[in-house]
Amino acid sequence: MSAPTRARDWFARYGVGAALAALALVAAVFVPGFFGLANLATILLHVSVNGILALGLTFVIVTGGIDLSVGSVVGLAGVLAASALTGSGVLSTLGVAGATLLALMVALGTGAAVGAANGAATAGLRIAPFIVTLATMTIARGAARLFTGGVPIGFPAAHDPLFAAKAAALDALHAVGGGRVPLPGLPRGFPVPALIMLTLVAAGGFVLARTRFGRYLYAVGGNEEAARLSGVPVARVKVGAYAICGLCGGVAAVLLTGQLRSAGPDAGLLYELNAIAAAVIGGASLLGGVGTAWGALVGALFIGVLNNALDLVGVQSFWQEIAKGVIILLAVLFDVWTKRGRGARTHA
Amino acid sequence: MSLLELRGVTKYYPGVTALDGVDFEAAPGVVHAIVGENGAGKSTLLRLIAGADAPDAGVIRWDGAPVRFASPRDALRRGITIIYQELALVPTLGADANIFLGIEPRRRGVLDRERMTARAAEALHELGLFIDPREPVGRLSVARQQLVELARALVRDARLVALDEPTAALTAHEVAHLVAQIERLRERGISIIFVSHRLDEVRRVANTVTVLRDGRRVWVGPAAGLDEAALVRRMVGRDVAYERRPPARPPEAAPLLEVRGLSREGAFRDVSLTLRRGEIVGLAGLIGAGRTPLARAIAGLEPWDSGTVRLAGRAYRPRQPREAIALGVVYLPEDRKRDGLVLGMRVRENVTLPVLHRFTRAGRVRAPAEAEAAQRAVAAVDLRPPDVERATHTLSGGNQQKVVLAKWLLTDADVLLFDEPTRGVDVGAKTELHRQIRALADAGKAVLLISSELPELLALADRVLVLREGRVVTELGGEALSAEQVMAHAFAV
Repeated sequence: MSAPTRARDWFARYGVGAALAALALVAAVFVPGFFGLANLATILLHVSVNGILALGLTFVIVTGGIDLSVGSVVGLAGVLAASALTGSGVLSTLGVAGATLLALMVALGTGAAVGAANGAATAGLRIAPFIVTLATMTIARGAARLFTGGVPIGFPAAHDPLFAAKAAALDALHAVGGGRVPLPGLPRGFPVPALIMLTLVAAGGFVLARTRFGRYLYAVGGNEEAARLSGVPVARVKVGAYAICGLCGGVAAVLLTGQLRSAGPDAGLLYELNAIAAAVIGGASLLGGVGTAWGALVGALFIGVLNNALDLVGVQSFWQEIAKGVIILLAVLFDVWTKRGRGARTHA
Repeated sequence: MSLLELRGVTKYYPGVTALDGVDFEAAPGVVHAIVGENGAGKSTLLRLIAGADAPDAGVIRWDGAPVRFASPRDALRRGITIIYQELALVPTLGADANIFLGIEPRRRGVLDRERMTARAAEALHELGLFIDPREPVGRLSVARQQLVELARALVRDARLVALDEPTAALTAHEVAHLVAQIERLRERGISIIFVSHRLDEVRRVANTVTVLRDGRRVWVGPAAGLDEAALVRRMVGRDVAYERRPPARPPEAAPLLEVRGLSREGAFRDVSLTLRRGEIVGLAGLIGAGRTPLARAIAGLEPWDSGTVRLAGRAYRPRQPREAIALGVVYLPEDRKRDGLVLGMRVRENVTLPVLHRFTRAGRVRAPAEAEAAQRAVAAVDLRPPDVERATHTLSGGNQQKVVLAKWLLTDADVLLFDEPTRGVDVGAKTELHRQIRALADAGKAVLLISSELPELLALADRVLVLREGRVVTELGGEALSAEQVMAHAFAV
């Protein structure tokens, strides 16, 4: 293996992490207020929703697919969960704890169900995932608006007979979406959503790297026909990948709803694009077969750190969007560069 | 005076010499046929003429002057049109748009559609094709699409037209029409190159015939008075032969896999064959004879319409490769890169893919057990270096084929269907693979071997079935098994 190839392999694996470290270093030196535990916790909190969605999308992207619907899933799962949480009938029969549990199950179930439907349509009917998930993106968003009549579900009106119970239920969910766990050195504690994101990334990383299902994901994305020939249950693997992606959408819905104590039908609008951006910056290849949970986290953090640093130095948010776009292009160019050595050999 | 002249043209691909010092001429008003077995170098020769590849040695002269085609576009611009088996038309566009693709007539910057359509209609009529030139060509039959390609050559004032197996997918009537059109082009002074497996057509159409074998020109001469049997002998006469690997044991009497009257529309018809433990059965035939579809059907990759298969006496009809693998029937595909391997994965991950469940506890892959099995598998096929953590795409063709073999050996299947197992690997790796395949049969496996390389079949197979146009036309074994016999049946001499 030649030296340039080895350098490419190293960069392919650690390049994004190194770039994130470099960005953080620059920010630490030049941006006042950046390098502090409190600000780092804030960054983690801000990227938690995008990080979780990027993790889910990585599962799909590794199989060579795409999921455009996950932002709409956040919206739909959120309003259904909020309606379960604050429904008068639910609260009077199940109580606050029961309603909270039900809301969690509704959010996660909705996400997983929409995701599984995406996977089934893609794998079973052989429709391009871009089209399938474009359709479910529209359908889920429409369903969310239809269900709510276009207005957010959440904080009860003052004259509501179950005002106290509803407020308590929203508080219970807020403990998840807006809660903090005590941590030495952090006066306000460590944000729960960030903790959930880190846990999910660790779990996702384990599934991708250490389980049979994970191996199958890479095989299907790397060469679907070879995988099928080797006895990999391609359809089931795809359904699983999309279901996990949807499930991540459900988790994100819980966090957002909890944080705001309310769920709007337009929550999560266009979140899928940010998540795809994070996954791609983190090294996932839209051609399939390549991507890691760690990469999804790093990609989300990269966007988060950049936004945070630019915020702190007072750069307009419009510039942040342009910067993000440039970084996506750089990430893709970088991906092409690290693969060039490989391309020459595959065509031999 | 030759229009196109190739002198001592040589072309290497990794692991093979596709053309070795070949001479070839094409003259105006002459139909020059190229014949040869699969892999004799016909396609490579066409690629060089088309400008799709450049020769590693030798010269190409065009119109008397040495030339180096920079690209297919360059060759096209000089008047060379190649009509491949896979037609190069845009199916959603009309014949007119296809004919003028890239050279559209314009009037003040706007497409001159009327002129395009009128000129296209003219060219099509000349070839006896009366269709609306605006109709999407995807709706036309293959024969008509071919004529559209010919019309394209006419409109572009092509001076040389090469046709690669143009009659493979045509009916007898369509063939007659095409042959008549080729004759007309020839009369207009166009130089024609005609590549075909059908020797009767070659005799009918061609003025001159070139025989290629193993990348060399072994004969060139006039087509008139040509004897088909003599042509076949020239195609198969061999310099290379592999060491014969005789079986170390007699095959078991009881059949392991019994195929009876298996048919699928457009692929194979009424095929019966029997595989027994300890035996290697060869499957010979030309490309398109139905060998690969048959093997893929048996492996559960594609369905069949009618017929039965029994495995160890039980009815067998897998709907998925998964089921076939579980029952001990595996298919080793011809195209490693497309079907055989996930090139982005490590050797270990590829090798254990079909049997990953063995190393899995509660969904989790037990890395030590997996690595140990992969190590054992690659050692058994003599992968060098035996590094299971290498990325598969970094391996040579021969080593990749060994990885494919290692992968399927690990499944411990009883029936192995090999499809061109040594294509594109060097001679050393070939011999090693031959040894492996024989060892498998001697260990009690039933082996079906598809190969276009006759010496390989002769070295390995205990008997050979010849497929032609989807049917088993003969079974050869013992004294009757010879290269001449196989080719004579494959070519229907």
